[in-house]
Amino acid sequence: MAEKMRVEPDLDFIRYMKSAGGDTLKKCYQCATCSVVCPLSSDKKPFPRKEMIWAQWGLKDKLIADPDVMLCHQCGDCTTNCPRGAKPGDVLGAIRAYAYIHFGFPQGIAKLASKGQNLPIMILIPAIIIGVMWALSGGMHIPAEGPVDFGRFFGHWDIHYLSKNVMFIDLIFVPTFFFALYAAFSGVSAMWTQMAAGLNANQAFRPSVIQFIMQFLWPSIVETIQHKRFNECGTNKNRVTGHLPLLLAFVGLLTVTAYSFIRKDIFGIFNPALHGPIALYDPFKILANVSAIAMIVGVGILWSNRSAAEEKKGISPTFYDWFLIGEIMAVGVTGLLAEIFRLINVPVLAYLFYFLHLVSVFMLFFYMPYTKFAHMVYRTFAMAFERYRSSEFVKN
Amino acid sequence: MDKKYGAYICTGCGIGDTLNIEALSQVVTGEMGIKCCKTHSALCGKDGRALVEKDMHDEGVNTVVVAACSPRVMQDEFNFGSDKITNRVNLREQVVWCKGDDANPEFVQELASDYVRMGCTQAKKTELPEPYKQEVTNKRILVMGGGISGLTAAREASKAGYEVLLVEKNDALGGKAITWRKQLPTKAPWTTLETPSIHLLIKEVETDAKITVHTGSEVARISGAPGAYEVVLKPTDTTSEWDAPARVTVDQQDLITKGQMADPNAGVKNYMDSNPDALKVGAVVLATGWNPADVSEYEHLGYGKIKNVVTNFEFEQIASKGSIIRPSDGKPVQSVAFIQSPGAAENDKDFPYCNSVTSLVALKQAKYIREENAEAKAYILYQHMRTPGHMELFYKAAQNDDGIFLTKANVMSVNESGDGSLSVDITNTLLNEDITLHVDMVVLAAGMIPTTVAAPTINLAYRQGPAFLELELFDGYADSNFICFPYETRRTGIYTCGGVRKATTVEEAIDDATGAALKAIQCIESAERGVAVHPRSGDNSFPEFFFQRCTQCKRCTEECPFGALDDDEKGTPKPNPTRCRRCGTCMGACPERIIGFKNYNVDMIGSMVKAIEVPSDDEEKLRFAVFVCENDAYPALDMAGMRRLGINNLVRFIPVRCLGSVNMVWIKDALSAGMDGAMLLGCKFGNDYQCHFVKGSEIATKRMDNIGETLKTLGLEPERVAVREIAITDYNKIPEIVKDFVDSIVALGPNPFKGF
Repeated sequence: MAEKMRVEPDLDFIRYMKSAGGDTLKKCYQCATCSVVCPLSSDKKPFPRKEMIWAQWGLKDKLIADPDVMLCHQCGDCTTNCPRGAKPGDVLGAIRAYAYIHFGFPQGIAKLASKGQNLPIMILIPAIIIGVMWALSGGMHIPAEGPVDFGRFFGHWDIHYLSKNVMFIDLIFVPTFFFALYAAFSGVSAMWTQMAAGLNANQAFRPSVIQFIMQFLWPSIVETIQHKRFNECGTNKNRVTGHLPLLLAFVGLLTVTAYSFIRKDIFGIFNPALHGPIALYDPFKILANVSAIAMIVGVGILWSNRSAAEEKKGISPTFYDWFLIGEIMAVGVTGLLAEIFRLINVPVLAYLFYFLHLVSVFMLFFYMPYTKFAHMVYRTFAMAFERYRSSEFVKN
Repeated sequence: MDKKYGAYICTGCGIGDTLNIEALSQVVTGEMGIKCCKTHSALCGKDGRALVEKDMHDEGVNTVVVAACSPRVMQDEFNFGSDKITNRVNLREQVVWCKGDDANPEFVQELASDYVRMGCTQAKKTELPEPYKQEVTNKRILVMGGGISGLTAAREASKAGYEVLLVEKNDALGGKAITWRKQLPTKAPWTTLETPSIHLLIKEVETDAKITVHTGSEVARISGAPGAYEVVLKPTDTTSEWDAPARVTVDQQDLITKGQMADPNAGVKNYMDSNPDALKVGAVVLATGWNPADVSEYEHLGYGKIKNVVTNFEFEQIASKGSIIRPSDGKPVQSVAFIQSPGAAENDKDFPYCNSVTSLVALKQAKYIREENAEAKAYILYQHMRTPGHMELFYKAAQNDDGIFLTKANVMSVNESGDGSLSVDITNTLLNEDITLHVDMVVLAAGMIPTTVAAPTINLAYRQGPAFLELELFDGYADSNFICFPYETRRTGIYTCGGVRKATTVEEAIDDATGAALKAIQCIESAERGVAVHPRSGDNSFPEFFFQRCTQCKRCTEECPFGALDDDEKGTPKPNPTRCRRCGTCMGACPERIIGFKNYNVDMIGSMVKAIEVPSDDEEKLRFAVFVCENDAYPALDMAGMRRLGINNLVRFIPVRCLGSVNMVWIKDALSAGMDGAMLLGCKFGNDYQCHFVKGSEIATKRMDNIGETLKTLGLEPERVAVREIAITDYNKIPEIVKDFVDSIVALGPNPFKGF
């Protein structure tokens, strides 16, 4: 007889799941229709049936160590076809939300970012930081004269090698970026450890970092960008039309940001002329504007899809889902409005939206590891884990 | 009654197209001697009926032969009133429609002629039945048992205007249901437990002027018959000279008379004795309920050894006394495992006698724990969850509770740790893992054993003994057709409900008791009118005995499936017509042929058999008599006709009330008339019997085995007689069954006695 598992259901976990969009989870009666209709479920490790009973029994340790939870692309086929209205898709979403919090580092911010009621605090943190920086910079006023120049938001000094604005932006965002990166790394590695514990793999056969990236991580990233699995979710075509431009927009904006960072913050040290706004006809500026529009359109499609799904399929609205949509929309809209008001030279509104844009961008990065945005890293690594799980490293 | 005959042949529905009606009319007017014979193209229509009614009015015709469609259809159209005799000849379904496509017209015409002969003969031999009327019909209803079922039956009977005698063995009313903490939901949304309704019910019963309650009492014996039962009561757990006598078989009686066996009924009044103080009632509702099953035989579950392992019944007692605490140390319970099936080796089986009740009780009791403590956990470990009807909604609500955990599981063992906590090892779970659960208590889903398992309970002073017969067929539950006739028992006038009938919840028991009370009322009213209650509801004929020729062989008293016949010291049968179901099994049993009904008797069917024309010189034209049970086999035959399945035209079908009523003299009549074979076509018997009269087809089969032996001594092949069992749905098999039988006889050759 196999070794027996001592089972101690966690009632608090069940209550959390019910509050986080999994309110229907107890309805499941294990018919496995969900696993059959799921386009991503594999024959050998079918889901989400098993996740449903684990969730019903409050077995959170099992769930957070389960890569299948992360592999789900939430197409909603299982929810649509569930004969009992148990909405497995929503339950998996709630489990993911729980996992991001559970693996989140530091826990304080992770918990803060998990609840809708904390949204004012979540906004206030970057608003205060940027506001204080603004006050410290001595900017403290809206430059009324001349063309609007965001390069002078944090004021201006005559040190040629590092503009005052660049310094303050870097002071705010470079640490934030690395903090978020570390938090994401910490969370993902905690998840990996939990998942790997269930494999009983021989530690002598661990892949090297190069092997890991080449064999597991890179193919997963490529697959993600191609939206291969997303497309397999038949009912998800609409979401791909939203998600794909959104993802490409992020890639585009990342490119522009990197370009801008190198141009202004590195080369700019040597050539102060590079500090000014990039000309509209510059290919990178064109890429930036196209990406910004793609982002707004993409997230707009996702927005309306989700509203429709909530109306038609009875998917429950959650802070977890709406925070990300709203957040990305805020980044896009504030950025675009700031640019428009800059171009038509309305300084008050231009600088106000620039401030809001900074706040929303800060939030996007800062809360990334704990909100739905975290799927970017968790799912990618789960897909890498899936490859690892069926690779020769584990089999032997 | 001076009979004046009229025969009417319908030519509609293809009868006139297929048959030579002129020739048929000549059979009637010629050899059958019925001068009034008319034809009509639609006898069931207004004009057709007018034709018959005119003859009745003008000529005084009062005995009618209608040669048209099956007697199972057009019953109102051919009902000419209770003072007229109507005999139907089935020319449509069983001649024209089932003759087959390539039938020889000559054979078909002969078939029709024989049916007309049989119909006319039947008309001549039948008399108008007169109902048997008791001098006094007592209309009070005895309800045995003062639990939820008995109380409900009493109240419902009283509401319908009947007096009730309610007997409860305990000192207070309420039975087991009064100890329940809550009862299952009875109304939408079917999710919330309800306060037990029994307290209100007791009040209603106690204040009802029509209901007389005897607590602390038991029924010593019930004698008599529906409409005229005599009930002797006694204090609970005492013995009385009026206790119901045990059954003594004929052989046992011999031994007792010779002094070789102790009389089990010494000191007890004879079953025929009448107690002048007996209470008179008309019908009985048996609601004596159930006892919790003993589960200590399942040693791996620890019942009886581990204090915190209790049955569902015991758990309910704990719960109804206040908050739920562990028996071992009185600590409030945090977690409970409800074990629905014994598991271990016989892992898929539930506890015996559980029905769907234990599933629902487990859900209910899980709710108790959850309502008491928001952090408590209830595990329900099942092989089957049975939540019929609206209870599915209750199940769903329980499943939706955060702290109720359901899984299919084999329970392998229950073990106790030092502090009284328990660990439950389960395998084959929905979680796909072998699991150990740590709980404060384990509750076993013990079943509900009907009181009839341990004791006769009903305590009848009947010739066939005090108990229901053949209880072992249904695990100790009183035998009845569970779907068609749910409250019936093998004793007319006695109706079971609640836990003694099947494992029921309070809510089901209430429905059950209402049904049983209505059956009791139906029985009393039928007894008063002198008609059968069931299944031949409304039949006003009854068996009559020509006692001068009775040889006291006791076959009728032994074989009556319903114990309708008592007897006196010498063994002369004493009929109780209100107990009788009119199946005629006594008539089939009697070797002296002294039992018969006015409209159904040995002479009548025998004469019909003899009316069949048996050609003695034509080897092609063999003849077969098939006696067909009119409950299932005859409708199946009609259905075969409706579907034009084609049945061998050498066979003559004769409907009988039940195969049990087939007297073997009819078989002899058929064979000595030169017919080549005889078959009985009736219901399945045995464990899954379908006989409307329970034993008829089984008894008939035994008799046919015996007659086969007799045939052998006469030099006839025993294969010439046969019994076949069919269900009503087997209509498509009938042509094959008949063909096989005919073919086997053809292989044997014609009856050697043909023409003698």
